Amino acid sequence: MTDDAPIPTPIARVLGTQPASPLTFWASLVPGNWLQLDDVVITERELPGRGTISTAGIVTQVQARHEGASFESDVHLIADGFLPGEVVESAEITVTRVEPEIYVPPTPGAAVRRAEAAERDEALYFDSMERKLPIGLGRDGRPVYANLDFLDGTKGAHISISGISGVATKTSYALFLLHSVFTSQVLGAKAVNTKALVYSVKGEDLLYLDYPNTRLTDDQAAEYATLGLPADPFKSVRVFAPPRPGDSAGTPNVTGRVGGEVSSMFWTLYEFCQNELLPFCFADPEDDRAQYTLLIGQVAAKLKREAVPVGDSGAISIVGQTVRSWSALIDLLQDQLTDDNTRSNWTPGSTALGSVNAFLRRLHSAVRPLGPLIRGDLDLRGRQQVGTSQAQVTVVDIHSLADRAQRFVVGVTLRRQLTDKEASGSADPLTFIVLDELNKYAPREGSHPIKEILLDVAERGRSLGVILIGAQQTASEVERRIVANCAIRVAGRLDAAEASRPEYGYLPQTHRQRALLAKPGSMFVSQPDLPVPLAVEFPFPAWATRVAEAGTPPVSALRQAQGSSGAQGSSRSNDPFARVAPKPADDNPPPF
Amino acid sequence: MTARVWVDPWDPSFGTSLGDGALDESAAKLTLDLETPPESWAPVNPAADGWRPSELLIIDGVRRIDARVWFSDDDHPAAVLGIAASVAAGVVRIDGHARVAETRVGRGIFTSFPGADEVRTPIAEYPVIHTAGGDFEDLQIGVQQRMGELEVEAASASRAREDDLMIMDGPLFGRTTIPRALGYIKSHRASYLPPELNEIIVRLQAGQRTPVFTIGTTWSRHTWYLRLPTTSTSPWAGIVRCEAAESLSRAEVLRLADTSATVLPPFASEPYKDSRAPQNLVPIGGLERALRHRLGDPTKLHRALTAATAKS
Repeated sequence: MTDDAPIPTPIARVLGTQPASPLTFWASLVPGNWLQLDDVVITERELPGRGTISTAGIVTQVQARHEGASFESDVHLIADGFLPGEVVESAEITVTRVEPEIYVPPTPGAAVRRAEAAERDEALYFDSMERKLPIGLGRDGRPVYANLDFLDGTKGAHISISGISGVATKTSYALFLLHSVFTSQVLGAKAVNTKALVYSVKGEDLLYLDYPNTRLTDDQAAEYATLGLPADPFKSVRVFAPPRPGDSAGTPNVTGRVGGEVSSMFWTLYEFCQNELLPFCFADPEDDRAQYTLLIGQVAAKLKREAVPVGDSGAISIVGQTVRSWSALIDLLQDQLTDDNTRSNWTPGSTALGSVNAFLRRLHSAVRPLGPLIRGDLDLRGRQQVGTSQAQVTVVDIHSLADRAQRFVVGVTLRRQLTDKEASGSADPLTFIVLDELNKYAPREGSHPIKEILLDVAERGRSLGVILIGAQQTASEVERRIVANCAIRVAGRLDAAEASRPEYGYLPQTHRQRALLAKPGSMFVSQPDLPVPLAVEFPFPAWATRVAEAGTPPVSALRQAQGSSGAQGSSRSNDPFARVAPKPADDNPPPF
Repeated sequence: MTARVWVDPWDPSFGTSLGDGALDESAAKLTLDLETPPESWAPVNPAADGWRPSELLIIDGVRRIDARVWFSDDDHPAAVLGIAASVAAGVVRIDGHARVAETRVGRGIFTSFPGADEVRTPIAEYPVIHTAGGDFEDLQIGVQQRMGELEVEAASASRAREDDLMIMDGPLFGRTTIPRALGYIKSHRASYLPPELNEIIVRLQAGQRTPVFTIGTTWSRHTWYLRLPTTSTSPWAGIVRCEAAESLSRAEVLRLADTSATVLPPFASEPYKDSRAPQNLVPIGGLERALRHRLGDPTKLHRALTAATAKS
């Protein structure tokens, strides 16, 4: 495509025994040369009166075979030197770009050469992307980009990442993408105010995002440099963890993360009533079919109307009784709803007693899971409410919670995020939401409050500036409308049965086969600009993913800011949780 | 005495390795005592420590009639026959690997018609090659000769070493000056040995040869029979005849004969892969396939010839 560059020698020629088309063609390699999957090649054709047509594409299949052998055993004869035969290699090339757009097939016999440097970027449309987000390294070791227009809502939004747990490194890739968004300068000045809400559903591995990774080698750091990204941990991270069960002080239930920002995550009884959080206690698939849906709304509305704050610990007074704990609130509801005299105050008389009992049974089963999260007994001075205003990356740690409680937290925090965004009335700055196990929160079947919120994010988030980075083992089990709204789709290692499902139609057959053996750190990224998914490898995390990797704890920019601003600093010193995490000596690694 | 019956191992369309059936009695002048006196003839086991060539060059050629053409002009109102033929010759170089080392492709219109003009088609050119006679057999001999020329060309172009061995498919006729060369004859039309010695051929085991003898017809050459490994029990199954130039010394011929009996049997082909197994050696089969491919597509050539001659 560039005129002045010398034309490199052909490494292959377009095959004539297979039909060549403008969309895909085969090339036979010139002996002594090789092509591998994902290599980018280019071929040209002179059209009378129209000049040179460049057809560029990606190698999607390579084959080698013996020519001259007609029986399978001939391979031994050829290898042993009895029968003359030749090894021929051919490559299937899926066309990515035809420039200018005249869709004529490349002519058999035409020279095929590797697309290097600018030609390679043109073949992959990187030259036409105004804002390029580095998304990893290609097989050739050069950066691969995604068009930010398809991520930030300009033309599309949302990312869906699929893959087997443990091998597919979905969360790691989601975080790498976040790192790239924040540090690649692609967002310009807006990057500073761009936020991310990350749900930590599996272990404590997301609690060290602001700790440097001591296992990052120089070579791995160099990969970041190639991508134009700093090999640094996340700058500003705030972790919200649920209070330790049975701890009256409400200490966050986090064992690692010495010296980092951790806040306890809970909701006061008053907030619970005022913000109508009751529906989020009923976010299981089985609640979907129950008869008490209407009752939930009625009770929630009544709680909102009647609850009056008592004291400054978040306790409430309702129907003349003071309630200081979640179990007490449930007991009160039990009394009110089972008493014939009071029930009609909460729900119209027509509600069947069976529905009321089912509702109460379900509520009772939530006593233990939600008890530590819905409180009326904690010192609220210096409390950090769960939200993304505290830091660039907010990690909500729900891995230690029971399923019921996880759903509650996800539902409540997501709704808060969405309503805050709606209230701000502007899509800028963007908020990224990283949520694993999307098949649990937005299953294909049924309907419940969290799924509705996620659908809302998927369908309206583009205009609200809320971008979902959803991950799941099985995209086939996630609500179709959510996956359909993701402009960028990513697949890591896939299960064989899963890979054959229509949800992965964006992966050509060879990519599906390769997805079965994709290594950790390898991803196939499909984006609207390109007709073929690109195989990328992303670098080893520059941030710690577990205690053993954690380097020197971060000195929080937030804490420095608070230290200098004074007023907030003093409120922080009163924070009942501040004393829990002892300050380590600066140079020593965490004592684990 | 019970009659015995065997199925000949060759594909019936190729005839048998014994030509059309009964071998003709040969009138050739025989010299039987070059190696051993006739009365003490017996199967010969090659010397185990004989000469081994550093590489083996196997020469073969293929020919095909692409079209029959007719010529006439005012002087010859009756049409004269010509054949448009494609010939190819090539060499397989075997030195641990087997590769097609040289190939030559030639085409021509073979005819005795004096005013014949070459035929040019968009895909191939057919120069005129005049033959002595105008019969179909004469034309075929012309084609055969052209193929022989190409074989010699390919053979001399492929020679790179001083200690190689060249095996020419077919008789050595006209090629006896090529050094270190053997003629390799798969099918036998004449019975050169007297009946009592022919019986030795039947007794040959795989890898054994008869003593070398000399035959003189229109030309003279040393020759010997050799049995290749075969599963058939047919009496002449796997028998081939090798020829060497008469100009060679007795010692040189015996050395070549022993070498042939050691070097050739491993290349014997399998009946299910080659319809002329085991005599059609594996590299020859591969070479013939490659050469036939080089001849080009017969349908296209025929059409091109028709189109080119229709225009003129």
